[in-house]
Amino acid sequence: MVAVDVINFQDSDTPLHRKKQETDTYVLWSGPPWTLTEQGTIHPFRKTHKSFLGKFVQEFNLVASDRRSWKILLFGVMNVICTACLLMWCNSTNSMALTAYTYLTIFDLFSLITCLMSSWVTMKKPSQLFSFGFERFEVLAVFASTVLVQLGALFILKESVERFVEQPEVHTGRLLVGTFVALFFNLLTLLSVKNKPFVYVSEAASTSWLQEHVADLSRSLCGIVPALSSFLLPRMNPFVLINLAGAFALGITYMLIEINNYNAVDTASAVAIALMTFGTMYPMSVYSGKVLLQTTPSHVIGQLDKLLREVSTLDGVLEVRNEHFWTVGFGSLAGSVHVRIRRDANEQMVLAHVTNRLHTLVSTLTVQIFKDDWTRPSLVSGVLPAATLSASDYGGASGFLPPASSKQAEELDPLTSTPTKPSSPPPEFAFNTPGKNIQPVVLPSTHQHRPYNLGGGLGVGAGLGMGARLPSVQGYRTSFSAAPHRYGSNLLPSQTSQYRP
Amino acid sequence: MDDKYSSNVISGGKLGRVEVPNARLTRYIVLLLLTKMLKALGIFESYDLLKVVHIVQFVFILKLGCAVILLFFQKPFSTGKMVAKRQWIKILKHAVISSIISLLGFFGLTLCGPLRTLLLFEHSDVVVISLLSVLFTSSGGGPSKTRGAAFFIIAVICLLLFDNDDLMAKMAEHPEGHHDSALTHALYTGIAFLGVADHKSKVESWSGLIMPFVMIIFSVMILDFYVESICTAKLEAPRSARYGSIFLFLSGLLLANFWTHPLTDQLRAMSKPGQQASTEHVLSGGVLVSACFFILSDSILSSPSKKGQKGTLVGYSPEGIPLYNLMGDALQHSSQSLPRFIKDSLKQILEEYDSRQIFYFLCLNLAFTFVELFYGVWTNSLGLISDGFHMLFDCSALVLGLFAALMTRWKATRIYSYGYGRVEILSGFINGLFLMVIAFFVFVESISRLIDPPNINTVMLAPVSVGGLIVNLVGICAFSHAHSHGASKGSCSGHEHGHSHGGHGHSHGHGHSHSPGGRGMNANMRGVFLHVLADTLGSVGVIISTVLISQFGWLIADPICSLFIATLIFLSVIPLLKDACEVLLLRIPPEHEKDLNFALEKVQKIEGVLSYRDPHFWRHSANVVAGTVHLQIMSDVVEQRVIQQVTAVLKDAGVNNLTVQVEKEAYFQHMSGLSTGFHEVLAMTQQMESMKYYKDGTCIM
Repeated sequence: MVAVDVINFQDSDTPLHRKKQETDTYVLWSGPPWTLTEQGTIHPFRKTHKSFLGKFVQEFNLVASDRRSWKILLFGVMNVICTACLLMWCNSTNSMALTAYTYLTIFDLFSLITCLMSSWVTMKKPSQLFSFGFERFEVLAVFASTVLVQLGALFILKESVERFVEQPEVHTGRLLVGTFVALFFNLLTLLSVKNKPFVYVSEAASTSWLQEHVADLSRSLCGIVPALSSFLLPRMNPFVLINLAGAFALGITYMLIEINNYNAVDTASAVAIALMTFGTMYPMSVYSGKVLLQTTPSHVIGQLDKLLREVSTLDGVLEVRNEHFWTVGFGSLAGSVHVRIRRDANEQMVLAHVTNRLHTLVSTLTVQIFKDDWTRPSLVSGVLPAATLSASDYGGASGFLPPASSKQAEELDPLTSTPTKPSSPPPEFAFNTPGKNIQPVVLPSTHQHRPYNLGGGLGVGAGLGMGARLPSVQGYRTSFSAAPHRYGSNLLPSQTSQYRP
Repeated sequence: MDDKYSSNVISGGKLGRVEVPNARLTRYIVLLLLTKMLKALGIFESYDLLKVVHIVQFVFILKLGCAVILLFFQKPFSTGKMVAKRQWIKILKHAVISSIISLLGFFGLTLCGPLRTLLLFEHSDVVVISLLSVLFTSSGGGPSKTRGAAFFIIAVICLLLFDNDDLMAKMAEHPEGHHDSALTHALYTGIAFLGVADHKSKVESWSGLIMPFVMIIFSVMILDFYVESICTAKLEAPRSARYGSIFLFLSGLLLANFWTHPLTDQLRAMSKPGQQASTEHVLSGGVLVSACFFILSDSILSSPSKKGQKGTLVGYSPEGIPLYNLMGDALQHSSQSLPRFIKDSLKQILEEYDSRQIFYFLCLNLAFTFVELFYGVWTNSLGLISDGFHMLFDCSALVLGLFAALMTRWKATRIYSYGYGRVEILSGFINGLFLMVIAFFVFVESISRLIDPPNINTVMLAPVSVGGLIVNLVGICAFSHAHSHGASKGSCSGHEHGHSHGGHGHSHGHGHSHSPGGRGMNANMRGVFLHVLADTLGSVGVIISTVLISQFGWLIADPICSLFIATLIFLSVIPLLKDACEVLLLRIPPEHEKDLNFALEKVQKIEGVLSYRDPHFWRHSANVVAGTVHLQIMSDVVEQRVIQQVTAVLKDAGVNNLTVQVEKEAYFQHMSGLSTGFHEVLAMTQQMESMKYYKDGTCIM
């Protein structure tokens, strides 16, 4: 009884809370929708545009209010100073290789901006215009920064080709200093700032050729010195790798120019650094570009196929078509699917089962149920009687059960919404999880009108069930529209944990 | 038994591959070493010999001696199987080709000296095959082989560039040894050797040459052949190839160091002539470096490949062994031949208007670029050459646009489930970024020139920039035509759309034609168009600044022009980037926003619909606007009818790829029953409760 009290109390509280949250977001977002979009889409490219400056400052203050982003901002300022120094030295040494290496420092600046953006994204809720949320900003930022660095490398290649025609003199005075300053700053930034999106992408994307070669070399090295295996064998961080390799190339350049005055080595190592930049960035831009192109990630295709096969063998399902699955941000899947079912199958039941199957993998899911020839009179003989609604007892029943007996509750038939009899045939999919091995029994069309009153027949918590039997239209509308994201948001552990006794 | 096995593994020094221990094979390795040293010696000697004997005669004598000895040893006619007629033809082909190869090899020997010939020519077939497979096939056999191939190329480049023994001078020194004449004469004299005597070989006495010839035949041909075959049998082919090439190169290096030394003069059979040769083909730093690289690359390339097919992990077997799917790899290799592929893609390119325009313009641009480059090389003008490279750099954007326009029409696959239409938006975005980068570089460059204006030579500038301007103007005409074409097509489709869907469509069509300029064209074409526009601006700027500089001597006009151009490019790219970003970020398409809001209101008024949630609408590509929405309807309404109505309403609002999930109360009950976790049950219950709460609230009110 205590449990009931608690639940009732919480119930009266949460919807209000939810509503308040929604109005908040309304004030924040829907009020000036287009300005917000502009601000969002423009991304770091033009902060100076006048009409968005105020908005930008507002969003910036939002991000800066978080203490963790101060560190990123500090590193950003340091990076800008370092880059300016390096660019000056590039100019004075007239070295192409150092310029190519400086672009890596500029890339670090981009990655810091991406990092800021990802912390901004976590503060934002989905708005009306960006209904999927703002996670894609992160992806776009990663894509843009990798592509920008590759374009810079392309520019380096072009300049190097021009230099091969006529090699100018390279002064080695600041070359080594610049190399070590850039290496130090890059490694410091990489290792001390926790850059979530780039870490994710560099782990998820396929290995670059640089990584492959280093892995191959270190594998053969570990054959000689096995003690190094813990250090060398794991996957190398591509950014650290390219920084070290670039510094190495610059060191060789310095030596050769100092000893033999081979100025062409500078151009050659610029080409090498540019090629390494391409090699490192290309897999990442392919990965993030594929997310932007709304493609199904190839690593989940196996799982998805398995789930879809399961779905297509559900009772009543004829075929699954128009399946689109894609990732919203880094990680979370969204998708839509059309399911064609038999004419006599129960749509809501199939919908529930399909959703239940796919929901484990796809978090934002839309399933359209399709029936052929639904206009034929045998099916729509009349309005479904209200007796169908007595199935609402399930919810009430589980609410009344004390939490300790939830295991037991699962084994009860009413909870699983499947009216399986003990003598029913074995389920098609047995996953050793009670409650999931459901064989939806679709009654013949003559019994169509009273499929779910079995739960009511058990009479558990019938009192509450009666209340929900014939809700007024008005009541339904308010309740549904007040909880637009109910299904997803209610499953958050943070919210559900407070109901624990 | 266990002992033996483990000792094998450990003494081999390699886990996984078991090799025969070296101890048992030492004699074969020593034999190989001796043979290779003798071979190197023979090649050095034949270099000396070739100075007095003509190359064709030399090769003839070599082959003849070889044939006689092998005939004597092997007895091909008296033992073994009879040679069939068809095999004779093959043997003939083999003979002709191998004699041509050896002719070329010894010709190279006369040109670049013995050591360099050894380095370039004497690679075993294992090495050559794996090098070719790395260079020309996709599955080279892992990163190590790629590294080996890279080393090989670096070694060749080292030999070509950093070796001060320059071949061109040598070519000029040997007026009788030109490539063409040698080849033609080789054919000519190969037929009738005895009769032809117009090749004066500077031989005084053939008798003095018998010993060296025997030595060369024995060491280069016979001994090498037998020892190589024995070692291949005993040591396995890769290993013997590795050791053989290493020994050969090392002994070549040694001999090259001591060949002109008095100590080796006893070894030299031909010490009389060519004393001036002591200065040619000596060791140099470049040769040493490239020899190191050759040894490295040979040892890498000849190592047996641990080639495993790339497969995707499917899962684990019941025993815990990982299972791989090799299908993807097999599918990748089923590509058609190159000419067919080019023909097909050309056909595809020319089919569609957009890609045809880009392709023609690309051809024009490339033609202009190459004319410029050739003229630049011809007149040795650096400015022209660098401008040509700049044009090539710009062409990359066009290539990108062309590729995207081609890809857009590919069929939808399992991974690209909506089709490839989005590629052109991404390509537009990349082109926008490209222009940003260009604008940035121009900006930086012009600022540095503003501070310190350099002296510009305006002689060559004007005609080139006028040519560029003309080319780009053609491009602008073509693409702006495409622009209007695209726009009109868009409005046309809008009207059609309107007709098919009754009265509502009319306003929709109007919305299309009123949309801001540039929207009619897809993002890809806009990117390409802006690129061409930027180039045109650049040409105009160059022309203006040239006129200003040559007329008034205002050197500052050039950086100011470039500043202006950079700003213009920057400003013109921003709308493109903004639109592409909006699409990529899955924003509600701005041109449909009002329609959609209106349509959603309409949806809510459909009979039986209680509410809707999670409305997602986004533009997927130029002609796909996708959407998903969840509807809650009353229990007594037929779902399919609602779906039909909603689809019709949203289709009028421009959504052409819609998924509607229709939920009744029963759905939530099923879901709450199906969700087995305690928290989920609680959450579901709570929903039911909240529903009741509201119902109560409204009842009270």
